Amino acid sequence: MSIPADLKYTKEHEWVRIEGDVATFGVSDHAQEALGDIVFVELPEIGRTVDAAEAYAVVESVKAVSDVYAPVAGEIIEVNEALESEPEKVNTEPYGAGWIAKVKMSGNADELMSDDEYATFLEE
Amino acid sequence: MKTPLFNAHVALGGKIVPFAGYELPVQYKHGALKEYTAVREGAAGIFDITHMGQVRVEGVGALDFLQYVTTNDVSKLVDGQVQYSALLNEQGTFIDDITTYRISDQAYYLCINAANRHKDVAHLQKEAANFDVTVTDESDDTTLLALQGAKAQAALQTITDMDLESIGYYKFARGKIGKAGGIISRTGYTGEDGFEIYMPNAIAVSVWDALLEQGAVPIGLAARDMLRTEMGYALYGHEISDAVTPVEAKLMWITKLDKGNFIGQAAVEARKAEGAKKRLIALKLIERGIPREHYKVFVNGIESGEVTSGMHSPMAGGVALAYVMPEHAIEGDVSIEIRGKQVAAERTSLPFVRSNVKK
Repeated sequence: MSIPADLKYTKEHEWVRIEGDVATFGVSDHAQEALGDIVFVELPEIGRTVDAAEAYAVVESVKAVSDVYAPVAGEIIEVNEALESEPEKVNTEPYGAGWIAKVKMSGNADELMSDDEYATFLEE
Repeated sequence: MKTPLFNAHVALGGKIVPFAGYELPVQYKHGALKEYTAVREGAAGIFDITHMGQVRVEGVGALDFLQYVTTNDVSKLVDGQVQYSALLNEQGTFIDDITTYRISDQAYYLCINAANRHKDVAHLQKEAANFDVTVTDESDDTTLLALQGAKAQAALQTITDMDLESIGYYKFARGKIGKAGGIISRTGYTGEDGFEIYMPNAIAVSVWDALLEQGAVPIGLAARDMLRTEMGYALYGHEISDAVTPVEAKLMWITKLDKGNFIGQAAVEARKAEGAKKRLIALKLIERGIPREHYKVFVNGIESGEVTSGMHSPMAGGVALAYVMPEHAIEGDVSIEIRGKQVAAERTSLPFVRSNVKK
């Protein structure tokens, strides 16, 4: 199970990479493993504002439909359109090519877990 | 309940889920898509379907009994032949869908759905009181494996004396499998050539291991459902239930109204005369999306019915089986509501992908 140290995590198993006021969202390795083969990703519209913990995307595996929640509040400025044709990138590169959306942050990231905290959370 | 292969599933990384009272693998460690691909693209997939029930029907009244309790014409069967059929209630709706195996004119074997087992057996035993026949539930003694895909025959031939080449589609043979006796039929639920193998529990692990050694790929419930949905095969609790008759479910081809009296016959005849309440159709999404069970189907903007089985087919895209109002079965613009949005679909024929069964 991979948990990169440069990312922050949520209890819903999303990760976020914060660079200045831009945050990149995705789902954790644990999440993709639990979901199974991802066959469809419904991306948000650019310009939409999302609150922290609001469902902003949907991933569908062979058997299940799951909401993906925003780790922090902000405005969607970019989405990973490659996932429309290659949704499996969420499985194979959850922290890389499997990123889902980028937001211009409007809230803070105080509630998020560090890699160590997330690892502990997963153990519990 | 655990099947004799439970430990084998766990050892192969099976993700175990409860299913019809059994603990079965929904997928193994490489995931449902790879399993699906193995079966569709030339390997042999091995499925533990021990949860299915088996009922032996014996006696001089066996034929008359089965003619009365099942929908298909059992008199058409010869020894060693299998028939797809159904059990109906007096209302003409489904108790279950089944396969009937004729061993001899006085001995038959029924394969029934796990979730309906106790209901089916109670029903059969009650009706059997009026016939010279015994009905025995052999489910707990029997392991059932399916071996499906282009390499199924070659793999299975290594562990049986039976000449598999001579077993035609929907035919079966009895003989030695490994160290015990069993039944092998050329049947399945995937649209690929393959077999279903009935054996005593005692040899289940050795047969499973021998087939894995031959390169068979273990397949979980998720890939099994993908494979059957792509073929448009009905699944009890989805396309068929005690709320629909064969008229709605497109299963009049297994319902022989002219064979003589059977349970549900009058009700089905009446339904046929008055017309189906709804019709089962096959849909393919034109736009992106995955239809799922219970999603609403709209025709010309009117809510017309719902999806009974839906999936993302790696070969055909978003596909669904759905019930719609009878007047919408043939014509009108169809869409499926996915998370509040209307996603355009079109009617299509079944199967959704090419079948490779050896007819």
